[in-house]
Amino acid sequence: MNILRINMSAETPEVKVEPLGDYEGLGGRALTSAIVSREVDPLCHPLGADNKLVIAPGLLGGTAAAMSGRISVGCKSPLTGGIKEANSGGQAGHALGRLGYAAIVLEGKPKRDDVYKIYINKDGVKIEKDNSLKMLPNYDLIERIKKEYGEKIACISIGPAGEMKMSAASVAVTDMELRPSRHAGRGGVGAVMGAKGVKVIILDDAVTTPRQPKNDEAFKDANKRFVAGLQKHPVTGQGLPAYGTNILTNIINEVGAYPTYNFKEGRFAGARKISGEVQAELEKQRGGNPTHGCHRGCVIRCSGIYHDKDGRYLTKQPEYETVWANGGNLGIDDIDKIAMLDFVYDNYGLDTIEMGVTLGVAMEAGLIKWGDADAAINLIHEVGKGTYLGRILGNGAAFTGKAFGVERVPVVKCQALPAYDPRAVQGIGVTYATSPMGADHTAGYSIALNVLKTGGFVDPLKPEGQVDLSRNLQIATAFIDSTGMCLFIAFALLDQPDTFQAFIDIVNAFYGWNMTDNDVVEYGKKVLNFEKDFNLRAGFTKQHDRLPRFFYKEPVTPHNVIFMVKDEELDQVFNW
Amino acid sequence: MQVKVKLFGGLKSGNTFPINQEGDIIFEPQGDITLGQLIESLSLNKKPFIIVLNGIITNDLSVNLKNGDELSLFPPIAGGF
Repeated sequence: MNILRINMSAETPEVKVEPLGDYEGLGGRALTSAIVSREVDPLCHPLGADNKLVIAPGLLGGTAAAMSGRISVGCKSPLTGGIKEANSGGQAGHALGRLGYAAIVLEGKPKRDDVYKIYINKDGVKIEKDNSLKMLPNYDLIERIKKEYGEKIACISIGPAGEMKMSAASVAVTDMELRPSRHAGRGGVGAVMGAKGVKVIILDDAVTTPRQPKNDEAFKDANKRFVAGLQKHPVTGQGLPAYGTNILTNIINEVGAYPTYNFKEGRFAGARKISGEVQAELEKQRGGNPTHGCHRGCVIRCSGIYHDKDGRYLTKQPEYETVWANGGNLGIDDIDKIAMLDFVYDNYGLDTIEMGVTLGVAMEAGLIKWGDADAAINLIHEVGKGTYLGRILGNGAAFTGKAFGVERVPVVKCQALPAYDPRAVQGIGVTYATSPMGADHTAGYSIALNVLKTGGFVDPLKPEGQVDLSRNLQIATAFIDSTGMCLFIAFALLDQPDTFQAFIDIVNAFYGWNMTDNDVVEYGKKVLNFEKDFNLRAGFTKQHDRLPRFFYKEPVTPHNVIFMVKDEELDQVFNW
Repeated sequence: MQVKVKLFGGLKSGNTFPINQEGDIIFEPQGDITLGQLIESLSLNKKPFIIVLNGIITNDLSVNLKNGDELSLFPPIAGGF
């Protein structure tokens, strides 16, 4: 596997292919964080020539291992100012792996305002200026690309938001139906791709074959056991395929952790109307599909296809985070309007979480009324058009809060909080505060034990046990993110030790390694070390590992709790 | 005594109970009843895995229910075994 470096500073961008070298043994998030940590000046301007955008499939990208097609996108984040790894499903991870690249590293910055398309196939790399693609929304862009390159491709692209270098801009990845509906959403990675002048990367893995394991028999056997374990577990084998992530709406609401009206309350009266159960039923009725994999090799199939009331494709099944941020968070209980917002975000290339929270701040500021879905959609069109108001909103919740003098801005390291109130689920509060990524729910998904009772139970309403919980999950997640496996395998891994063993056996069989449980922990710690080290050098201190003040002072209904984990305890999360 | 019961994630009761406007079961037990006994009498199609009583996740089926209690039940689809 090689690293493909593309320097965008030259008039004709320069391509260099080199072996992994010192980066051998790293993949996915480990590789993006290692490269960013070692090669990017932590004091650089994120939109400048010294930042790098690293796109890396996981260690198992391009192999026949189930669940292994995720892709990592890393850089210095224009949103947080710290290190960022944003993760996406879709087809690009496997395509890049099969083409033999462990990573694409975009370096430098074009001198002029041109946009480029990068075409990669088995024969090499072709980079062309193509300003006719400027400002195309993602769906329109992919239609154009399909006409030129056919349909046996996978694309990584930015919409107008990334071209306008907005800090909420995402990087889109096409799925099996060649729709740009999977996104590396968080932290403004789309803005960095825009700053590098790259509009789209087209991956043509035709005539390639899956990467061959060192021990084929052992690999096949481990994969079989792994798949059986995923199919056996109620979450990965039944719940997620049937309802998708939006199954979380009702349970998070019932336990009083559903952030409502910009984190003012913990329960939303309209939650059931926008729940996963209702959404799945609607999809079936309208000819959509609630059971759909975002990449080939996924056996969980938590995604889905959402049709409008006329039975036409509207968007992929909106995720729980999207439905919350643009639903109950805003007092909106109309699932069709939320689905429309999801489509608009995907098209402009925006993080649905950051933008939903931004809209909440905008409602708090009185720009539009609580619950006014049409007004919310119009504000997002302002973002897509790049009006002055749009440019404020498109730079996220903190920026918008500052512009309109709002005090209640739910961000950590300037990144918007996701769909769980940290006062009612104290464990996720620890992750939000301490993750090097900023407020990030996937980085250490304590909800699994705080609410879902997967792998045990830690009382969500008490501060005890939350630091250990968050630490262990952050370490494990850093490893999983490096393998290219979808994080949702964790539900099965937490409950079924033999499925966890099968997962490690897959990695070991592929590479001829002998990783133990302890090696997995050390690997995860190594990734976090890269990230903590970068952030330290970028100027972050322990004071940045805190929640906004109002979480410590303002109790949230219905349980009337504040965040109670002490600062000294938060500082113990990375205690190795 | 009246207890409200909400079923989620495909859970269904095998018996008929009065329901309110939101589709919640209004359970009116004759005399004292524990959480475990109430769940039994619902004759659910799947065993509930996450039991939320008045917004609190609980594992204690022996607790006596009180008037006005709200029970939310989820099958293992939202959790583990």
